[in-house]
Amino acid sequence: MACVIQEVRSDDHNGPFFDSNKQEIFQRTKNAVLVNGVVLNGPITDSKAGEKFVEDACKIIMEEVIQKAADVTEKVCEWQPPEKLKKLLDLEMRETGEPHQRLLQLCQDIIRYSVKTNHPRFFNQLYAGIDYYSLVARFITEALNPSVYTYEVSPVFLLVEEAVLKRMIEFIGWKEGDGIFNPGGSVSNMYAMNLARYKYCPDIKERGLSGLPRLVLFTSEECHYSMNKAASFLGIGTQNVYFITTDERGKMIPEELEKEVQRARKEGAAPFLVCATAGTTVLGAFDPLDKIADICERHGLWLHVDASWGGSALMSRKHRKLLHGINRADSVAWNPHKMLMAGIQCCALLVKDNSDLLKKCYSAKASYLFQQDKFYDVSYDTGDKSIQCSRRPDAFKFWMTWKALGTTGLEERVNRALALARYLVDEIKKREGFQLLLEPEYANICFWYIPSSLRKMKEGPEFWEKLHQVAPVIKERMMKKGSMMLGYQPHRGKVNFFRQVVISPQVSREDMDFLLDEIDLLGRDL
Amino acid sequence: MAEDPLSHPALDKAAGEEFLREAFQIILEEAVRKGTDVTEKVCDWRKPQDLQEILDLELRSSGEPQQRVLEHCRDVIRYSVKTCHPRFFNQLFSGLDPHALVGRMITETLNTSQYTYEIAPVFVLMEEVVLKKLRELIGWGSGDGIFCPGGSLSNIYAMNVARYQRFPDSKQTGIWALPRLAVFTSQECHYSVQKGAAFLGIGTDNIYLVGVDERGKMIPADLEKQINKAKSEGACPFFVNATCGTTVLGAFDPLADVADVCERHGAWFHVDAAWGGSALLSRRHRHLLRGIERADSVAWNPHKMLMTGLQCSAFLLRDSSGLLQRCHGANATYLFQTDKFYDVAYDTGDKTIQCGRKVDCLKLWLMWKANGTEGLEKRVDRAFEFTRYLAEEIKKREGFQLVIEPEFINLCFWFVPHSLRGKEGCADYWERLGKVAPAIKERMMKKGSMMVGYQPLGSKVNFFRQVVTNPVVTKQDLDFFLDEIERLGTDL
Repeated sequence: MACVIQEVRSDDHNGPFFDSNKQEIFQRTKNAVLVNGVVLNGPITDSKAGEKFVEDACKIIMEEVIQKAADVTEKVCEWQPPEKLKKLLDLEMRETGEPHQRLLQLCQDIIRYSVKTNHPRFFNQLYAGIDYYSLVARFITEALNPSVYTYEVSPVFLLVEEAVLKRMIEFIGWKEGDGIFNPGGSVSNMYAMNLARYKYCPDIKERGLSGLPRLVLFTSEECHYSMNKAASFLGIGTQNVYFITTDERGKMIPEELEKEVQRARKEGAAPFLVCATAGTTVLGAFDPLDKIADICERHGLWLHVDASWGGSALMSRKHRKLLHGINRADSVAWNPHKMLMAGIQCCALLVKDNSDLLKKCYSAKASYLFQQDKFYDVSYDTGDKSIQCSRRPDAFKFWMTWKALGTTGLEERVNRALALARYLVDEIKKREGFQLLLEPEYANICFWYIPSSLRKMKEGPEFWEKLHQVAPVIKERMMKKGSMMLGYQPHRGKVNFFRQVVISPQVSREDMDFLLDEIDLLGRDL
Repeated sequence: MAEDPLSHPALDKAAGEEFLREAFQIILEEAVRKGTDVTEKVCDWRKPQDLQEILDLELRSSGEPQQRVLEHCRDVIRYSVKTCHPRFFNQLFSGLDPHALVGRMITETLNTSQYTYEIAPVFVLMEEVVLKKLRELIGWGSGDGIFCPGGSLSNIYAMNVARYQRFPDSKQTGIWALPRLAVFTSQECHYSVQKGAAFLGIGTDNIYLVGVDERGKMIPADLEKQINKAKSEGACPFFVNATCGTTVLGAFDPLADVADVCERHGAWFHVDAAWGGSALLSRRHRHLLRGIERADSVAWNPHKMLMTGLQCSAFLLRDSSGLLQRCHGANATYLFQTDKFYDVAYDTGDKTIQCGRKVDCLKLWLMWKANGTEGLEKRVDRAFEFTRYLAEEIKKREGFQLVIEPEFINLCFWFVPHSLRGKEGCADYWERLGKVAPAIKERMMKKGSMMVGYQPLGSKVNFFRQVVTNPVVTKQDLDFFLDEIERLGTDL
């Protein structure tokens, strides 16, 4: 393709781009260098306007989200049905750009109709609240836009990740180990499954699974659904996930695990992995890790602990006993973005092995990225341990919070959340119409609200069917009112019940009282 | 009586907001303004052990005072590489778009996950609009898709969906009893194809690498050959990966020809356009991806050429029968309740292998709203012209040698210092030339004047790969680039 370069010079003054002096801009246009009709030495973006937009938008973010975050008089959500919201938002992406003020208005609209997960009465998921330190770390991350594959491109974030992993490893109780941050606990669990498979039979990396004996893994029936997704994704198949029954507290029964391992062996399958959960998603149950570790040792199975939710209890000297035995695990998934409020995503996979297993399992040694002839020690280029190429510096936001609060500060958060959970449990027991599913051991409080119309009814199929319909209606009402949000679900034969989760240090007794009052208010006529 | 701590919020709002305000000023000044200032350094190089000491990384029992934390912010920014700098040319991303930045800051502040309408109403709707726009540019009137945490994962998704489509039962049964599954991709493909084959249990041995021509493009006749070879070995060819914009050379595989081969053999046709996809925005240059509408799936990363910021990686599917949902769905009852009070078809979270998922659409959407398709087209065209300009300049300059004529915006060249000029005949010429780029790279990083990547490729020794995507780059920066390489390498 012919290239036409025209240089139109009137003087030599091509000043630095970011000078807002009008004179400079005029001169730059006069000295235009054109290639195929495209101006090369003039700006096509106005950096001053860009900076102003950032400043104006940040004012909006500050006022509309951050300052309102702790305010209970604000709504948690401004509910709109999907078809209506589509019209309100002007989502269409057009040929031409829109002016400054219009863009700021769009930002306001987006904020207005988004759920305020920072709100003290947002209890819907396993994350909530606002942490100023992690938020600052996230703003820094966005401004710097790094990718954590090599030391040369992201020296600071790589070292930060190593420091954070090391500390997390200490809390698990390992002297040394390895790890990486992933885009989600589900992905961490997949990594662990693949790692266990690789350890079992390293040839699988090259040969694949076709023609090999059927690998089988074991996990509790209360496990996170990522176990199933992982089994499919990895080519193992969901049929080869053997679910172990749990007791009335939602904990894996070790004797059942032993039975299932034996059964798998008899079938001629190859057991290779047990995944225990420390903090199940719905009930917040902790599997008995010591007993499970005994079984794994006896049978030579990899023990992975999905502590995505419960791992943060390790920060609390009072509550860490929930994870007693975790040091015997081969790998652990732990998500600081949940209980420790590090900001989505912040998910670590920790591995006890220190023989570079993670790297051997995942590396592809791309010569355009992991050159061996760099001028620094390339063992710092940890990116090849990951299945990703570009990767976000997710450890940094956790590091920032940890620096600011110290281990003691993080411990206090965990203790407070669990103390508030205890308070709520005691209140529920006192109140008519509220019934606990089970005594919680963590921050999940599962309960039914039984409206007065049902309180005299006998607990039979009709009662349960009617009760099943209560939570969805109350949920709808609370969302349309915008007063709070908490989740409900059916679970293992039990009809819809609420799952209250306490995380944020903003939350106080008043909010717990409000929770119960509001549910009663919204549901009493049912 | 001791005050009951549970009766009050344990969050110091005022202090937190003050901290945020101060930190924001630091970020704006040190990261944004200085980071984009051509008179500042691109990087402030320190050896790893030195940097560890400077940063004071240790996580201790007690917290640190506000001022100290702000100092940490300053240090982190100072010693980080300024990927928004006009002279950062090291990766396939660079620059800082203010609208995308705001989109990202809003995303962080709202801190939600993309799985359900109830939790992320705006973003669930927005993601659909954005994906639809990207599909239109590919040439599909309908289809499906999702944002993934990276192009590598998009490619791996494609492989998994292709496998599921061919063998839907394998979701439950696994692939033990299946014939050996075979994957086909060019030898210049991104390494995520290897990582994907290993992860999915297919095995890297079952990747058949297809030869490329002297321009780095897949040879369709060789693809045909490899597929037939795989069949004769009893393997099942189910997936072909074509690359639009290879990582090093920026080559585009001939999509129409590859599509023909795929159709003939009933193989899934995936196009890894993670890097080159953005050329679709340019009416002048979209011909590079001619035939892309025949693909079954496409990976496209706006966080590369379009500067949205990491991560923004779309996995796009031509299928609109819900294949993605069927392939990945697990129907978790605690998240995807079917008795919600709104149409749960809006809860798209089960299409992904992730549970919690970051909102990646807002930054692209806001940037697109600000610039319009036309504005983004201008950026793409400009990047091409930068490359053209540089290529012409390189041809004029002594000591610079193009590896190949670029068809995209990867400019690959050797710098041959005086001591080696005219010595091509020498036995150790290439070995000595291979040492030049690493030495220049070390010097430029220690000086902090710019950053550009180098790598070997096949039998070719280390050469530079210059990539310009940042629209604030000017001709001055390009001239500087060539001058600086000379300056740093002339005495080698």
